[in-house]
Amino acid sequence: MKVEHYNAVVRAQMNRRRLLQGAASVGAMAAVGGLATMRPAHAQAGLRAEILKIPGVGTGSPTDADWQKVGELCLGPTKERVAEGEFEGVELTFMGLNNQNLHNFLFRGFLKPWEAYTGAKINWVDLAQADYNPRLQQAIATGTVDFDIIEMGAPFEGDTAGKGLLDEMPGWVEEQIEADDLVGYLQPPVGTWDGKKYRITIDGDCHTFSYRTDYFGDGAIGGPSVPKTWQEVNAVSKALIGKEDPLTGLPAHGYLDPLKGWGGFGFYFLENRAAAYAKHPDDPAWLFDPDTMKPRVNNPAWVQAIQDVLDLIEAGAYPADQINADPGTTGFQQFLAGTGSMLMWWGDIGSNARTSDTSVVGDVVGFGINPGSDRVYNSQTGSWEDTYNEAPNMAYLGWGVYVTKRVSGDEKKRKAAWSAAAHLGGKDISLWMSAYPSGFQPYRNSHFQYDEWEAAGYDRAFIEDYLGSNADSYNHPNAAIEPRIPGIFQYYSVAEDELAKGYAGQYGSAQEIGDAIAAAWEKITDQIGRDSQIKLYKASLGI
Amino acid sequence: MSAEGDRLHVVTADDIADSRLRFGKSLVWGSAVLMIFIAVLQTADQNGWIDIGFTNWRPTLYAYIFWGICLCAAQVIMRGEHGKRTLFVLPATLFVVSMVVFPLLFGLVIAFSDWNLASPDGRQFNGLDNVRQMWSDPFYWNALRNMVWYTLAIIVEYAIAFGLALLLNAEIKARKFFRVAFLLPLMLSPVAVSWMIGKSMLENRFGPVARMLRELGVDNPSFFSSPEIAQLMIMLMDAWTYIPFMMIMILAGLQAIPRELNEAAKVDGAGAWTQFWEVTFPLMLPVSITAILIRIIFKLKLADIIINVTAGGPGGATDSVTSFIFREYRDRSNVGYGTLLAIVYLVIIVVAMTILIKVADRWMRPRY
Repeated sequence: MKVEHYNAVVRAQMNRRRLLQGAASVGAMAAVGGLATMRPAHAQAGLRAEILKIPGVGTGSPTDADWQKVGELCLGPTKERVAEGEFEGVELTFMGLNNQNLHNFLFRGFLKPWEAYTGAKINWVDLAQADYNPRLQQAIATGTVDFDIIEMGAPFEGDTAGKGLLDEMPGWVEEQIEADDLVGYLQPPVGTWDGKKYRITIDGDCHTFSYRTDYFGDGAIGGPSVPKTWQEVNAVSKALIGKEDPLTGLPAHGYLDPLKGWGGFGFYFLENRAAAYAKHPDDPAWLFDPDTMKPRVNNPAWVQAIQDVLDLIEAGAYPADQINADPGTTGFQQFLAGTGSMLMWWGDIGSNARTSDTSVVGDVVGFGINPGSDRVYNSQTGSWEDTYNEAPNMAYLGWGVYVTKRVSGDEKKRKAAWSAAAHLGGKDISLWMSAYPSGFQPYRNSHFQYDEWEAAGYDRAFIEDYLGSNADSYNHPNAAIEPRIPGIFQYYSVAEDELAKGYAGQYGSAQEIGDAIAAAWEKITDQIGRDSQIKLYKASLGI
Repeated sequence: MSAEGDRLHVVTADDIADSRLRFGKSLVWGSAVLMIFIAVLQTADQNGWIDIGFTNWRPTLYAYIFWGICLCAAQVIMRGEHGKRTLFVLPATLFVVSMVVFPLLFGLVIAFSDWNLASPDGRQFNGLDNVRQMWSDPFYWNALRNMVWYTLAIIVEYAIAFGLALLLNAEIKARKFFRVAFLLPLMLSPVAVSWMIGKSMLENRFGPVARMLRELGVDNPSFFSSPEIAQLMIMLMDAWTYIPFMMIMILAGLQAIPRELNEAAKVDGAGAWTQFWEVTFPLMLPVSITAILIRIIFKLKLADIIINVTAGGPGGATDSVTSFIFREYRDRSNVGYGTLLAIVYLVIIVVAMTILIKVADRWMRPRY
């Protein structure tokens, strides 16, 4: 679990407990008191329940000793496949992140008992998030891959697996990590390349819809029901102009589009709108034509998404200075601070809403999946179809652990590397990582067994509310999946530049903006190599 | 050097034997041939013409270091005492050449290459394609145009800095305190300035400046929405950081002006303005020109505040060349094109600064 999420759920529970201490609850407490004290007795027996008690929900942040304890308890699957001392003399290099003193810090603790049991030794390369991409890109470009195991995001699979730098996952690893437990969208083709499997997933990511419950309902200023489509989102946003926010008394606003770039990540937010229009259920592709790499960003569906934003700019529906609002601003400085009523973001918003000191919307926030559309564009026929369509945006595909080709020639080393990686991606250890601060979100179907969370001491209602929207997005049959092609963030970054010009009124129409992005994307494709991009794009889509 | 000069500094007169000379020459040329041979071998190996199995460029580096040592030793062998004197400078020169000139040459090679880090083909020589792309790149020209405006703002900064320096040079109360206080912005990192001022104080929802303006009746005060105001705000933040730098240079210059000059002018009946315009300002010209030139160099590197506050927006209105190159290089891994843009910018800066220095020099001379 990401730190802020953990703090959120823990603090949310404390609020609830405080409520229960209220005088009005005394009777109820008396009635349920027995049940409450019984809760630990209902906890699931076995390993999963045991590790979830380390160190105990709400008892402070876990330490290295806790990580080692969890690592030790979860060694079972390793012991089934590796004899004690089998990797004596093997040395491995692991490259990963050190964000918030998590990631590699946890891995070290988890793998210490593994090292003691197997006899292998791991050397660590810790990188800050900002240094990670350049370090990886340079290692790839200069052919100086100096690590055996790497923590890496799925968008880089094109850069690594596509260039033959990764080692194919052995069959026993898939069995050990129980890969069929992964949520729908993290199943292959994610983690695969040309039909071969490379990734041990340890994280998941997607955008979900947050809205203000006090804006919607009978007699509310936003209308009786929460918008379900982007058409409704825009209509409500326009209708709210001139009205007063029920919570803050300041001007009311509808949906919050970030109009400023965010190092490429801002493009995900236009994608949210475009996914509903452009991601046809019969077509896995939605950014490029897989046969030609011709960008679709200037097709009628994407142009409609851009037009939606231009319409709201022209109508004056956004807060002042929206042109300088990046996703960080729309999420944390606007939505959580009571400005605006609808937002798409990663899971952080849900948890921060209840706990952040600057958040004023904790009691009036609800969640859902990405809004849909009344019509969807079919790129194959080149026409709109008047059917309801929805497509949650799996923005960034979370972290995974991969093994590089450096170990391929040495079977003992190869087995050691995969064994270490599999230990980190194990089913039980992953539950612990979902429940405690680790830097990772839930990503397995088994993570959504709310009984386990409840038994561990979590508040069930909050957990269901918080995780439900993620689960619905993850398992959606028409999820819009990130294309894992080389240089994907280059495409996003240049699109942000063109969108910024477009939003500032330097292009004549949404079509012109789309055309400018398409032209810039064509250049990048040509530069990286069209034929290889076509091949890799198809591979990433599993075509 | 003249013979007389030699007598002043050379302790022993060296009588270099022919054999010693020959040995020195062979040392230099032998090591040079070795270095060239190894470099050629490595180039051939790198390009796949032959297969020796070099894994990195260290052999060439070691050959260069060996040649450098031989060259230094040969100076003493061939020129005796004179050679020893050369040794004071030669190693440093070789070091600078290897750390500045070589990378610059490699930079030029990269600048004329198509090199996207994500490309499976790696670096490919592409002639003048990058130059053509630059020629038709509206983002680059827009950034260059913005730089002209940013640079012109230095005139206003200079006027303010001069005024402040005059104030701090005058007999005012708490002069030392004000000197330190005015210097504080210079001590702040531009990144801190961009967050403290650009992202906090000027934030249009909760920023204190926006709140104050709202209290004063301004409807929706926003500082980075319109292109002109956004550019102005960037100029102001940058000016706030660097005016103290110009001020302190001018103040140093003012304190170096002999008091008698102004007193003599006063005796001759010059008023305050005449004293400033006819005495102080002309005397301050050399310092002023230096301060302005250094400030221009600082200004041309402007990027941090822009990257943090506006990321070049709205619509490229605040983009500087450096912030654009940063996006091209870091976000898009477009190493070849990014390097060309940087090198072209370097050439523009060198040429413009040279012209500026010449013009300033010519302009200043008739005053004396």
